[in-house]
Amino acid sequence: MVNYKIIKYRKLWLLISAGMVVLSIMALAIWGLRAGLDFTGGSLLEVKFAGGVPTVAQIQNNLNEAHVSSLVVQPTGNNSIILRFQETSQEKHLAVVAALNKLEVAKAGMTEIRFESIGASVGAELRSKSFWVMFLVLMVIILYISVAFSKVSKPVASWKYGLIAVIALFHDIIITAGIFAILGHYFAVEVNTPFVVALLTVLGYSVHDTIVVFDRTRENLPHSHDSFAETVSHSLNQTFVRSVNTVITVLLSLLAVLVFGGSSIRDFVLALMVGIFCGAYSSLFVASPLLVYFEQWQRARK
Amino acid sequence: MQKQSKSLFSSKKTRLQFTLFLILVFAIVSFLGSAGNYYNRFSDTLSRATHDVVILPKTKEIPFVLGLDLQGGTQLTYEANVSNIPEADRASSLEGVRDVIERRVNSTGVSEPVIQVNRSISGDYRVIVELAGVKNVNEAIKMIGETPLLEFKETAALSATTTKVGTSTNAAAETQLVWKNTELTGKNLKNATLKFNPNDGTPEVALKFDAEGSKMFEDITGRNVNKQVAIVLDNYTISAPTVSQKISGGEAVISGKFTVTEAKLLVQRLNTGALPVPINLIGQQTVEASLGQQSIDNSFKAGIVGFLLVALFMILYYRFPGLVSVICLGIYVMAVLAIFKVMPWWMTWVFLLSLFALFISVFRELKIFDGILSAAMFIIVFIFLGYYAHTSVTLTLAGITGFILSIGMAVDANILIFERMKEELRNGKPLDVAIDDGFKRAWPSIRDGNTTTILACFVLMSFGTGLVKGFGATLFLGVSISMLSSIVITSSLMRIFVGKFLARHPWWLGVKKINN
Repeated sequence: MVNYKIIKYRKLWLLISAGMVVLSIMALAIWGLRAGLDFTGGSLLEVKFAGGVPTVAQIQNNLNEAHVSSLVVQPTGNNSIILRFQETSQEKHLAVVAALNKLEVAKAGMTEIRFESIGASVGAELRSKSFWVMFLVLMVIILYISVAFSKVSKPVASWKYGLIAVIALFHDIIITAGIFAILGHYFAVEVNTPFVVALLTVLGYSVHDTIVVFDRTRENLPHSHDSFAETVSHSLNQTFVRSVNTVITVLLSLLAVLVFGGSSIRDFVLALMVGIFCGAYSSLFVASPLLVYFEQWQRARK
Repeated sequence: MQKQSKSLFSSKKTRLQFTLFLILVFAIVSFLGSAGNYYNRFSDTLSRATHDVVILPKTKEIPFVLGLDLQGGTQLTYEANVSNIPEADRASSLEGVRDVIERRVNSTGVSEPVIQVNRSISGDYRVIVELAGVKNVNEAIKMIGETPLLEFKETAALSATTTKVGTSTNAAAETQLVWKNTELTGKNLKNATLKFNPNDGTPEVALKFDAEGSKMFEDITGRNVNKQVAIVLDNYTISAPTVSQKISGGEAVISGKFTVTEAKLLVQRLNTGALPVPINLIGQQTVEASLGQQSIDNSFKAGIVGFLLVALFMILYYRFPGLVSVICLGIYVMAVLAIFKVMPWWMTWVFLLSLFALFISVFRELKIFDGILSAAMFIIVFIFLGYYAHTSVTLTLAGITGFILSIGMAVDANILIFERMKEELRNGKPLDVAIDDGFKRAWPSIRDGNTTTILACFVLMSFGTGLVKGFGATLFLGVSISMLSSIVITSSLMRIFVGKFLARHPWWLGVKKINN
């Protein structure tokens, strides 16, 4: 069994975490997340050319007659290009494809491999739906923890365990979002519905992890003659190896998908990996230290 | 100490053997469900090798249900403009729209479209059409986009054709009706309602025309007494009753040989034609088939590599228990894949019952039935498992990722148990007690942790659309089954091997020494 003095250095861990959160909030405030099609609305067309990809200038020229707005052309390096524009009607879609067909290179063979269009109203709806779902999951989680931990009300009330778990969750979500704000700014990584799904999964995993750590504390408290801090430290050490091993296995399985799963799923898996790593970190280095602080403040107030 | 047990089994050993038997049954059903085609090929090879002496029964081969992003195809989202329709009629008119779209799609030759009607958060009515493997998406979109057309036709002329039947010299005469459009269309139909004949209670469809329509209808029926008049929706004749007399007043009744269902359907269709519901394409997602195939290949590779990496880690770190957990993981993977498919009824029952029996037996043995929370969760989980075992889960790329994620998470229960077990061994407990205690004390953490993941999945499943729902479903199934299988299978397998060898070679368990 390990005997890391995690609780002893709790100030350090909490400072590091706070620092990361602040940096993430700054990144989000300055750059924001790069919203993808699902949230902005618009169209995305991916076209593959058998005989070599035309230049961006050529495409823009030909597309003048199709009259699309906010046109962005992006070669993918796979002999295909991705076109984005604002209009979502089928007519515009066909007009763009027709314009592309007039290019020289199109004569060698041109296939439309992907087309997505989302009306602006649907985009806005997805945005609000996403927030609702995240809020609901948080509520459900707090409720469950309060019930599951209701027997351990001494010395820290059971709802406070729930509160700490949620603080750890916010920590995970904010840092993950912050990292994606940075990725969005420098690498044009976009955020779509899968990103929201990833966040929700991270919520589930992070709480799972935090609960396992708290569970030990819950089990040890009634029999323990040590101080609260020492009991928490002891419990933490008992679960440390398990937490680390579990996050290793999860990250290994996701790593396989990251490497082999193809480009369409890459961003999603990345979000999962970042989030789950944060989740494991927060269960060990944020949740329990906070628990000890809560108890300290409680005592100081008496 | 032998407890006076009321169960069927006299000794612990028999119970253990029975549990192992159940595990074998569960593993076999999972294998057949998930990889039935491999089994059938094996059975073929075997009968060929033994010159038809050994012939094993074949099992049903079930394919996976793939989502559009794996199969290739398109998903179209339409918004229905119901502003002209009274509140009460809206739901049924949407059903009518769905029928029309289905018929239109079928007429372009696309097979089995999946069409759903739902309401968005803002209260709009949406129709979502999924066309798998469609070659010409634009053609389908054009066909769907038109609002339903209702026409009334009368016979123009009769022509007789003769056909020879086989070599017989008797010729069968057939009359063919040639139809001609009248001026009366759906625009003039005010509405259609379902009525029951006051005399004999048979279902009838009552038509009501507007003023202009009533006049036209009077003319048409007047012209065509004792002849047929056809009611045509989207060029498809839904009914061709014979006119018995001239009808004025703009109301008519179509009667004769309807079942209630047929009559209701006709009313729905007429009302759709009568009240055109304009639909607007607001979203489209098309994936070409080759891109889909590539995604499938990628997922497969990723799955295998993921499994191997996790297995390697477990064996390297936990040694013998690690190996046990890998066996458990293998059975788990087959079980989940089997649930993704649609298993025939008998398979579903064997699957669920064996799992249920396993869980009861192990839990009784370890005495970890602890309260309402656990019981409630298990009941809910089993209901869902039963539902999903017999229906299909549509696999999308995100869904498969969820499954691979759950492989990594599935080992968590095992890790919890093994760490506990090592701790008990270090505390000086003998091997068999350490194993049992490991399970007992790990259980609350396993239960609570997995329950929160499951709760998150429930929210995903109930709120989401296709992609979100699919991911929630696969993750839920993975987490539930892993929770049950890891406790049950790992504990049983570990207990068989509680023997002198392990006690004398604690290295295999990852500890320095074991007391006895």
